[in-house]
Amino acid sequence: MTTATLDPDISARRSALGRRILPYAMLSPAVLVTLAIVFFPMVQTAWMSLHEYVLFRPNDFNWVGLDNFRAALADEVFWISLKHTAIWMCTTIPAQLLLGLITALLLNQDFWWRPLARALIIIPWALPSVVIALMWTWIYDSNYGVANEFLLRLGVIQQAVPWLANPDTALASIILTLTWQGFPFFAVMILAGLQSIPASYYEAASIDGASAWRQFWHITLPGIAGVMMTAVLLRMIWVANSFDVIFVMTGGGPGYSTHTLPLYAFIKARTNLDFGYGSSIAVLFTIMLMVVVVFYLRRTGKAVD
Amino acid sequence: MKSSSIVGIASALALMTSAAYADSTVRFWYHFDNADNPMDELVATFEAENPGIKIDAENVPWNSYYDQLYTSIVGGNAPDAAMVKLFAQPRLIELGALHPIDDDIANWDGAANIEDGLIDLVKGGDGTQYYLPVQYVALYLYYRADMLAELGLEVPTTCDEFRDVAKALTRDTDGDGQTDVYGFGFRGAKGGHDHWGTFVLGAQDVSLTDGITSEAGVAGTQFVADLFQKDQVFPPSAPNDGFQEIIGAFKAGRTAMTIHHIGSANGMVEALGDKVSAAPVPACGGGSWTAFGDESTAVLSNAEDPEAAFKWISFLSSEGHNTTFNQATGQLPVVKADASNWTMHPERFVEATQASVPAAQLLPSSSATSDFVNTVWPTNMQRVLIGEISAEEMNANIDALFSE
Amino acid sequence: MAIRKTPKLKRFLTIEVPMLAILVFTLGPYLWMFITSVSPEETLFTSGPSLLNATFENYARLFDTVGFSDNLMDSLIVAVGTVIVGLSLSVTAAYSFSRFNFKGKRVLMLQFLLINMFPLVLLILPLFVLMRMLGLLDTHVALIIANSTVAIPFSIWMMVSYINGIPRSLDEAAMTDGCTRLQALRRVVLPLCMPGIIATGIYIFITSWNEYLYALTLGGRDVRTITVAVQTLIGEYEVQWGLLTAGGIVGAMPATVLFLIVQKRLISGLTQGAVKG
Repeated sequence: MTTATLDPDISARRSALGRRILPYAMLSPAVLVTLAIVFFPMVQTAWMSLHEYVLFRPNDFNWVGLDNFRAALADEVFWISLKHTAIWMCTTIPAQLLLGLITALLLNQDFWWRPLARALIIIPWALPSVVIALMWTWIYDSNYGVANEFLLRLGVIQQAVPWLANPDTALASIILTLTWQGFPFFAVMILAGLQSIPASYYEAASIDGASAWRQFWHITLPGIAGVMMTAVLLRMIWVANSFDVIFVMTGGGPGYSTHTLPLYAFIKARTNLDFGYGSSIAVLFTIMLMVVVVFYLRRTGKAVD
Repeated sequence: MKSSSIVGIASALALMTSAAYADSTVRFWYHFDNADNPMDELVATFEAENPGIKIDAENVPWNSYYDQLYTSIVGGNAPDAAMVKLFAQPRLIELGALHPIDDDIANWDGAANIEDGLIDLVKGGDGTQYYLPVQYVALYLYYRADMLAELGLEVPTTCDEFRDVAKALTRDTDGDGQTDVYGFGFRGAKGGHDHWGTFVLGAQDVSLTDGITSEAGVAGTQFVADLFQKDQVFPPSAPNDGFQEIIGAFKAGRTAMTIHHIGSANGMVEALGDKVSAAPVPACGGGSWTAFGDESTAVLSNAEDPEAAFKWISFLSSEGHNTTFNQATGQLPVVKADASNWTMHPERFVEATQASVPAAQLLPSSSATSDFVNTVWPTNMQRVLIGEISAEEMNANIDALFSE
Repeated sequence: MAIRKTPKLKRFLTIEVPMLAILVFTLGPYLWMFITSVSPEETLFTSGPSLLNATFENYARLFDTVGFSDNLMDSLIVAVGTVIVGLSLSVTAAYSFSRFNFKGKRVLMLQFLLINMFPLVLLILPLFVLMRMLGLLDTHVALIIANSTVAIPFSIWMMVSYINGIPRSLDEAAMTDGCTRLQALRRVVLPLCMPGIIATGIYIFITSWNEYLYALTLGGRDVRTITVAVQTLIGEYEVQWGLLTAGGIVGAMPATVLFLIVQKRLISGLTQGAVKG
């Protein structure tokens, strides 16, 4: 959305009415589908958050107003989870972005095995989360995991480390796993973005004698900035919401060391069947995320118009 | 579409009379630790014996089994019959999701063949029969007979002995300064309350619903914490270890004892041969406590044809078929004749199970039990093990949950 | 890109070696999975996974007894359906967002983001009831609709940024030359943002391919995707490691092969000539 909107008188002359209706006509299928399938349940859930609603006591659906929200804000676990969610987002996304950017730049070069490299790079992203989570749990295992064996042989550590059982390393271990899983997304998205930079720009720069670094800084980066900002935005929301890998790897433990807010909402709703409370956490979380997103959009100058 | 089978929860009785035998379909949910899916064989046999009843058996992933069951019940699309565990019964009763089967059992010839007392054991908290047992296990202590023999140790029968034996078994076998074998593989993640229970709930007047905050109750939890923190007889990964880790570590020779049931016996023998054996868990605080692992089947109250559904579930608990079922799950049959001909596990493990049955206990019949198992116990235990809270606090939290 | 006439050795060191390093990091765990999947089950915990005595028994079992080919089919139908529905809806919507200015644009774009912010797990129950009322439970359609709604918002945002990358002057030029707006979209914008469409298509495919919660709740006996099938290998007392890892290896294949085929299109759609025009 870097270009300013609308100009042409040409199209204005073409059909003023068409121009007013066309955008809505083109949008309506997507809007209608998402409204019906997601928005409606979302409103229902928000409604639930104002009630005492424990799934296995369907008859005690009582209006409690903001009690669930008050309880959540007074809940120690809520704040612990919020802290972890913040750490989790602030480390995973930059790591994924950086690795993804480097990968995309490399994959945009010419070398004879490029097609193969491009295909193989998406494997982590193409694997079901549960398989990834179990595989990495096994890799991290302190009794027979390959990570410990590898590091022991290299002499980096003296003793097998229980990566996931130690509260100091559990979150970091999961962040590494998520980085591994998510960076191909950035790589593919940025790689596609790189294609919209005309080759002529580089040719002109080369003729002017610009160094590779200057070309990257003045041509490549501005060229993919739009795509990169969007990819970061979408990944932010996705990473914030993804808990399946954590759920399988540690279930949020040990203790609360790897609890994040969506995971906490999941456990409350799905395991404890407390839909009222779970919904209120989800609503609070969505509001906070919205604030972050709007702030991000402002900062990156990507305000929607 | 299966939505045609949806009826209101309350109308089950009315339907019972109107149900026609011909062309009933029973939707059955189960979970098996067996990828080869032997359920097809049972369904085929049943359908051949009962023309007119069709079984739609669906294998639901275990780790989502109960979430999925509750969702489908509340969403109005529950199966007609399902495999269920006792801990879920209070919630299912509160939901009004279970169909009483007292009369069906009274009229069923096969009831007399079930192991004595089992049917009564799974009765609902309201005195009504909803569950029909289909398999059972009792947890016992697995130990490395070869390591005990090498060190000249006896199998521990009390907690004090257990502590000494576990300390002795924790060794650096290759002299590199690192511990290679740990005395006991403790399950600190979900499901590990079975281990904790042995050390805590055996004590006099200590149970989950009463006396857990007493001195004896707290001492039990402290005993577990000390084993990990002071004696270091658990592997350092214990707080996050689930069943696959404890079983894996035991098979790999990283631990010398652990608590589990006969379901893993064959795998252990495959890996360790005669080096592995089993005995009842040690008595702690003066009494013995071990977990009773149950699995029953139930007819759900929205079943279109509860009679057909009962026919199917009782088929699974009848002679011969119960053997087939348990061969698939690796647990023990509930039918007397099937149990006496049981050859699937080496005898020493069957004997250890039978010797453990007297001490085997059920978790309280309360809707708090699910939360205890799924979240309260694992979180609190892990926090105790990593030193975030004390044993008193953990037991107080459990007490608070059950007294709600 | 930048480095054009660098010597071969330098290219090897600056491009192929780092690429190889990233691939090692990427594929290490995947290879470990592969080794696990071909190791005999009984040696996994004793001597550990190894390529000695490799056996493909797990793959045979996966297809013969677990019925993985049906699951793959279900996943494929759902994923391809989701790509078709998701791409067609999001490309048109994205074009509209990118090329028009209209009332409510800002709100509409933000609402698409909002939709993806809400934790899915709490939407399951209302959605389940909705699908039951529509009679769509246990059908491919239900999963295609549900997965599309997850994928569409992100796809729209991605596509908007790709279409924005294409100079507006190009489609306007086409319209001056007598094309209608839709013709300009089809003949100028779509071909030019092919890399973006492919990247978004891959995104939708993978999102749908890996979706579990909807697949479990809205699917059932007739429609069972690989994610659900793989979960059934994780039992109460036992994880079928061999089958699970074999399932993971096979499960990652379709998306990888698909990408291998379409990656050729991930090349610059903007030739010099087009820019001049």
